[in-house]
Amino acid sequence: MIGDDVVIEIVEVTGTTVRVGITAPRERLIYREELWERVKQENQEAARANFKEPGESPAAS
Amino acid sequence: MQQTVNSSRFGELEVPAEAVIDFPSGLIGVGGRRFALLTREESGAFRWLQETEHEDLALPVTDPFAFFPDYEVQISDAEAERIGISEPGEADVLVIVRAAEALEDFSVNLLAPILVSRQVGHQVINEAPRVDVRVPLLAGLAESAV
Repeated sequence: MIGDDVVIEIVEVTGTTVRVGITAPRERLIYREELWERVKQENQEAARANFKEPGESPAAS
Repeated sequence: MQQTVNSSRFGELEVPAEAVIDFPSGLIGVGGRRFALLTREESGAFRWLQETEHEDLALPVTDPFAFFPDYEVQISDAEAERIGISEPGEADVLVIVRAAEALEDFSVNLLAPILVSRQVGHQVINEAPRVDVRVPLLAGLAESAV
């Protein structure tokens, strides 16, 4: 249980594949993990990117 | 009230208290809690979210409407309630910028905008159609120029 209205259960285990069932009210949004992963990765790259501002350049006057 | 914030990018900064935004859930995948929204004259359209306690954590952000005049953010009522926004337009919207060597290669994350209301910020998943995590920054302007 997550909170008091979301239920996650293992539906099936076949070899290395696990099917997970999620039961939640419609208004409770379930974001696919890959969507979340993409946002996470994009944030991490944005935080790392070499953003050169005019003020940071040693050649700037 | 000013707060001293150390930034590995910008050095020691004096930040007014009203520029500090609390992110109860952090930013997706990078965490953080309290970020100073820095406006730097030389950055033009870009601002920075600098984590106040983690000097290495800073992300460039921009006003999406400056680049995408038709940009829309849609969230469910439940999500709006979770983040404490009751009226559309009540929050300021920022999007995270992914910088590159050339400005033409910059992209913005229109899928996961940051909503700020009363100095509290949340990164949300935008349910509007046709939004992506990596949209060329200048794509919207090129489109509206046609």
